[in-house]
Amino acid sequence: MKGYAGKLLRVNLSNGKVMKEEIPDSTKRDFLGGRGFAVKLLWDEVKQIDPLSEKNKIIFSTGPLTGQGLPSSGKMVIASKSPLTGGYGDGNIGTMASVHLKKAGYDVVVVEGKSEKPCCLLIEDENVKIVDASDLWGKDTFEAQDLLEKKHGKNSGILLIGPAGENQIRISTVMSQKGRAGGRPGMGAVMGSKNLKALVIKGTGNVTNFDDGKLKELTKKGYEEIKGKESYEFWMKQGTMQAFEWSNENACLPTYNFREGVFEFSKEMDGYVLEQLHAGRKGCPMCNMQCGHIIKDTSGQEAELDYENVGMLGPNIGLRDLRQVALLNRMADEWGLDTISLGSCIGFLMEASENGLIPEKIKWGDFEAAQKLTVEIGKGEGLGKLVSHGVKAASETIGKGSQKWAMQVKGLEISAYNCHACPGMALAFGTSPIGAHHKDAWIISWEIANDRFSYDKSKVEKLIEFQRIRGGFFESATVCRLPWVEVSFGLDRYPEYLEAITGEKRSWEDLYKLGDRIYNLIRAFWIREVPSFGRKWDYPPERWFEDTQSEGKVKGIKVDRQKYEQMLSWYYELRGWDQNGIPLKETLDRLGLKDVSKEIIG
Amino acid sequence: MAEFKFLGYLAEVVGAQGENLVLDKPTPLRKVLPSSFPEKNIIILIDEKVGNLDSLIENKNSIIIMPMLSGG
Repeated sequence: MKGYAGKLLRVNLSNGKVMKEEIPDSTKRDFLGGRGFAVKLLWDEVKQIDPLSEKNKIIFSTGPLTGQGLPSSGKMVIASKSPLTGGYGDGNIGTMASVHLKKAGYDVVVVEGKSEKPCCLLIEDENVKIVDASDLWGKDTFEAQDLLEKKHGKNSGILLIGPAGENQIRISTVMSQKGRAGGRPGMGAVMGSKNLKALVIKGTGNVTNFDDGKLKELTKKGYEEIKGKESYEFWMKQGTMQAFEWSNENACLPTYNFREGVFEFSKEMDGYVLEQLHAGRKGCPMCNMQCGHIIKDTSGQEAELDYENVGMLGPNIGLRDLRQVALLNRMADEWGLDTISLGSCIGFLMEASENGLIPEKIKWGDFEAAQKLTVEIGKGEGLGKLVSHGVKAASETIGKGSQKWAMQVKGLEISAYNCHACPGMALAFGTSPIGAHHKDAWIISWEIANDRFSYDKSKVEKLIEFQRIRGGFFESATVCRLPWVEVSFGLDRYPEYLEAITGEKRSWEDLYKLGDRIYNLIRAFWIREVPSFGRKWDYPPERWFEDTQSEGKVKGIKVDRQKYEQMLSWYYELRGWDQNGIPLKETLDRLGLKDVSKEIIG
Repeated sequence: MAEFKFLGYLAEVVGAQGENLVLDKPTPLRKVLPSSFPEKNIIILIDEKVGNLDSLIENKNSIIIMPMLSGG
């Protein structure tokens, strides 16, 4: 099939073996790329193993739309069995590495085994080498990026981990280009467990497409359409930070470990403050709506901000100075820590301290303490050790009711939306296939536009539609969803792109089915890998059922447990799963997953 | 007096983040907005209840209009 490089590169770090394998057309058709390829590989090859053992595999996967010059197409998915959740884990990252990978002739890289000493995987077209990286071990992601660029060229595609990944901290991510991050559920720790510090990718070839002329025309139109959108100019000023004012207005800004949804100091750090402090912009390759807004932090260094990291490292820990948040964000990026989970971990410790569950005194908004904790978490030492496996594990260690306000689902920390009064979004977090993450189904805007307090079946139907589009199509295509979700770029463009690239016509109905196949396979992976997996894994934290916010327009409101259960039941019914969340045999068979149904159902 | 709040790029369309208007009679919301005001992908809350551009507004109403964001 056209539009793919066509090869999978398999590298075993234990024995140094490098193999290049053809990707069957049936796999391309049924799983498209990115997340689809990743879950297919993990299902086939990673069974009941310790995620931090050499038996785990880490997958770097692109899709047919990746690197094609299309709007916001410089993405790849990084996936593995997650050491944070124990289930399927992935994340997407915008990076030159995705563009170079396809140019080098590969759609996917699978890294397996474990190197005896720190290493770097160097991919230069046909030439693939495992080289020593002892000189890089221990270096932060900014310094290591500089050294790798110096050695291999500034335009090389580089993916790397920081000291947190080396230390196998389970909230560590993979980084690129000093600030791009991907793989929230501990993908950095998986690389660290393999002694794999970095991948450096340089490609010089080109992918053959079905109709390059048409693709060029569509690409040009796409960029023009995005630039012409009425919200484009404002987007370029504030990016995702426009959501800060929005979330505060709607009382869903995570504040004091999700206890509140309105931050009294929000005006001191919103998107308008970002505009005043603006020092530049960064983004992924092939993007004309770059989302990384740079400001100078309190030490005078540049840091890249977006809504999620400001929400979680700002109000969620009681910090009200954007430049201080920027410093914490830069530290997280240097260490290779996920900023969302980091904010949740620090917020959890602050609440634990307030409640006297730990002897250390850490007050809300204590900037010095937050810096110290960031380093300790990156090292897995001191108090940082307690949360280095995430807030779920930390709450199980300290107990005393702290599980109620350990803000996670399936072991992954919740991203920056407080859902006491957004039951649809609570269900989106509950059913997200990697644990709590907004990337699969951000329904909160839709539910506020309709009826935020309802628990209607239509809300569940909409949620599944979003999961099909965002978590199914965009994660597998693999391109960024932001042109569609942020400036209303037309969804209809994507089947046109697919046709020009692959030569195959696919309707959105076809793509929904593809998304369902991927979701069901991810679900099957969880069922196989986590013995206790079932309905209870799809619940949001108790805080949203039991506590209410004390201020703002949704004061006194909480998620109704019975009604949430009803929505979850509808969700299962619409997905073709039983009431314990297990896919039915006929559902798997209908999606072409007969072998999977044999394995998990019999 | 009806109180308006505009969020995000909609504040730029109107030229203000907030404004107050005195209305003689109940008036369709679209009548008090600029003709260039977007009709799609917006959220309208009138006294915290979901409204639309044809909703009648009157003095003492609090109207918030915001874009349908995604938050990344």
